[in-house]
Amino acid sequence: MQTKIHLDEDEMPRRWYNIQADLPAPLDPPLNPKTGVPVTPGDLSAIFPAELIRQEMTAARFVDIPDEVIDILRLWRPSPLFRARRLEEYLKTPARIYYKYEGVSPAGSHKPNTAVPQAYYNRQEGIERLATETGAGQWGSALAFATCHFEMDCTVYMVRSSYAQKPYRKMMMQVWGAECHPSPSILTASGRAVLEKDPNTPGSLGIAISEAVEDAANHANTNYALGSVLNHVCLHQTVIGLEAREQLASVDEYPDVVIGAVGGGSNFAGIAFPFAGDKLTGKKPEVELIGVEPAACPTLTKGLYAYDYGDVAGLTPIMKMFTLGHDFVPPDIHAGGLRYHGVSPIVSRLVRDGVARAVSVYQNEVFDAAQTFARTEGIIPAPEAAHAIRTAIDVALECRRTGEARTILFNNTGHGHFDLASYEAYYAGILPDYDYPEELIRDALSRLPKVG
Amino acid sequence: MQELRVGFVVNPVAGMGGRVGLKGTDGLADRARALGAEPTAGARATAALLPLAGRPLRFVTAGGGMGEAALSAAGIAGFDCVYRPAVPTTALDTRAACRAILEQGVDLLLFCGGDGTARDVADAVGRAVPILGIPAGVKMYSSVFAVDPAAVGAVVPTDGPLRCTDAEVIDVDEAAYRANDLRTVLHAVVRTPVAPGLVQATKQVFEEADEDRARAAIGAFIADAMLPGVLYILGPGTTTGAVGRHLGLETTLLGFDAVLDGRLIKADLDENALLAQLEMVGEARLVLSVIGAQGFVLGRGTQVCTPSVLRRIGPRHLLLLGTPGKLVRTPALHIDTGDPALDAAFGPHLQVVTGYGTAQRKRVGGDPAAPIMGERNG
Repeated sequence: MQTKIHLDEDEMPRRWYNIQADLPAPLDPPLNPKTGVPVTPGDLSAIFPAELIRQEMTAARFVDIPDEVIDILRLWRPSPLFRARRLEEYLKTPARIYYKYEGVSPAGSHKPNTAVPQAYYNRQEGIERLATETGAGQWGSALAFATCHFEMDCTVYMVRSSYAQKPYRKMMMQVWGAECHPSPSILTASGRAVLEKDPNTPGSLGIAISEAVEDAANHANTNYALGSVLNHVCLHQTVIGLEAREQLASVDEYPDVVIGAVGGGSNFAGIAFPFAGDKLTGKKPEVELIGVEPAACPTLTKGLYAYDYGDVAGLTPIMKMFTLGHDFVPPDIHAGGLRYHGVSPIVSRLVRDGVARAVSVYQNEVFDAAQTFARTEGIIPAPEAAHAIRTAIDVALECRRTGEARTILFNNTGHGHFDLASYEAYYAGILPDYDYPEELIRDALSRLPKVG
Repeated sequence: MQELRVGFVVNPVAGMGGRVGLKGTDGLADRARALGAEPTAGARATAALLPLAGRPLRFVTAGGGMGEAALSAAGIAGFDCVYRPAVPTTALDTRAACRAILEQGVDLLLFCGGDGTARDVADAVGRAVPILGIPAGVKMYSSVFAVDPAAVGAVVPTDGPLRCTDAEVIDVDEAAYRANDLRTVLHAVVRTPVAPGLVQATKQVFEEADEDRARAAIGAFIADAMLPGVLYILGPGTTTGAVGRHLGLETTLLGFDAVLDGRLIKADLDENALLAQLEMVGEARLVLSVIGAQGFVLGRGTQVCTPSVLRRIGPRHLLLLGTPGKLVRTPALHIDTGDPALDAAFGPHLQVVTGYGTAQRKRVGGDPAAPIMGERNG
């Protein structure tokens, strides 16, 4: 029986799918943080190239992938789709479980899918350096890999606690020629302001974004690159779902349930948007889409659907999205890639409209699932990917109870070879089940003066 | 490297009551002896000292069974004896020996005993020097003890500075404990060393600075979340104390204080005073720290948190606080209000606030072992 379902290189998607074309109403516009009026392309040109700004705002259903980008994606794409038959047998479920494996990329995750086109478009427009932030280092290493292919410089602001605790991602960035600084740093005004208040701060993704945006805005040869949240990032990730749909069709399957972990939302967008498009256009109205987030940072399940900043300093456009507040610093969960206060405006809209739904899971149950997956399917997943595995297993166990033979597809976004310390903590029994004190936060917010 | 100066005190009768069913030896050493109990603390002290022999340490100790004998048995000659106890020794000797050692200037005070000894040591040295217990008592609910005597060697640093964290000394009422009634009260908050590498798996070694930062964040968060017209009862401990500090209030370290609309209404309440306060308001919240090595959430153990008080406040109005460093050493929480139906009302998990806007979910009771394969997936 077939385990891996492959596509040939010439079957790789030539176009990204833009779900904005199929939304019943256009997205609420992002607002300029200074003026509060809708952002114009000119507002964004200080930090993004024109083509990415166009992609951010376009209503066209498909966007062509440049040949130069396809050439690089070919290093690992199309990525394999696996039938997780050993996991099914272990769970004694009638469900059929498929997963897309993005850990085959050079950086070991789905992040290069957008890092490569972002570097390409910036280089096309004469940009010589990209500045970005990274949490656990997945995005920073992916952008380092991508810029190195276009002979660009790359400056990565890495959240200080991760910089100290996760040295291997930092070394990967070095191998690919990028510079990596612990954030907050003394290189930017935003970083200095935070350090002045609190010299021992562990840093956060929101602070690191402020530093990278400031760096880009202050240097004419430098642009900013974001690894998630934004529409163009979600667009680039749709290669995952487009390939998966083809691969499933080749074995006469279409998923009943599509599952992805949600931090900023781009990997979920990647696996789910092509199927969400089928749902929105009435082709497959029944397909269920589930975003899985950590209980520590439950943006979609407990956040507010409102306009908020993307960063701590308030330099990014204000976006309508589910948010826990731009000054919320999530606890230090091992799935560092899911530690973000907000989530993609498009993913937010799909959840608000009931096209997709969200669940939240605790850290120990995530590692419990990761271990089951590693012992049945072999791959040791990244903690981020294990969030999707947890929910895939839960759905499969529900099928065992009901006897339904549903087809489950989830996104296995990467391997956990640089996350083994988190497995060690799990086995030592000292992995905290971080939680979100929803009522207390509501009480605290109720006392804040109302602004805006 | 500079020689580390280590104070060393043994309570020679610690643990004797345990073997003969006395559930403690406080004031009962003679009775334990009459029942045939043999002193064991000296041997446990020697076992803990063996890995320290040959290290650049200078010991300051008390004579005979209070330290000198165990050091000699472990082959350690580098010590000064600064106190000669009466025989048989009592709690007075423990306190006097600690004070004499403190006068000589030490970096760490190592003691061998149980909760009763910890209480005497804490009374004598307070927060002046960090203390570390070699477990040899009947009851060891305080969080100043090494996991076993052999672990002491790993906690005393071989190089670099001594890194410390806060720890609670728990007072257990032995008379009540003998009647199977566990009454625990926070007796003191002292400093204790953390072992670099002890929690290597998370690469997180929580030091005093981290703990202070976390406590301040917790205090600010709870203070910000305080609603007008709601009575907040702040329980004992430095973490709940941070709430008072953030509000600029003079709260008590060991007692229960009532705060309403940002003002301290009444400090150090007993049960009746608290019930009287609760009569005057609509809603109340009970703010407690996770206490001691075993993760007790105070229930029956205090004068104040009686089942009637807890029912009046309501189980869902318990706000539990704990720093991440504290929780990493606390696998599970325990609630024992004396009323099983009330215990059950708290549910199988409790949320513990660990920072500004952050929390952890902790299991209540049960087996603290990590989930095993198939527990949920099979």
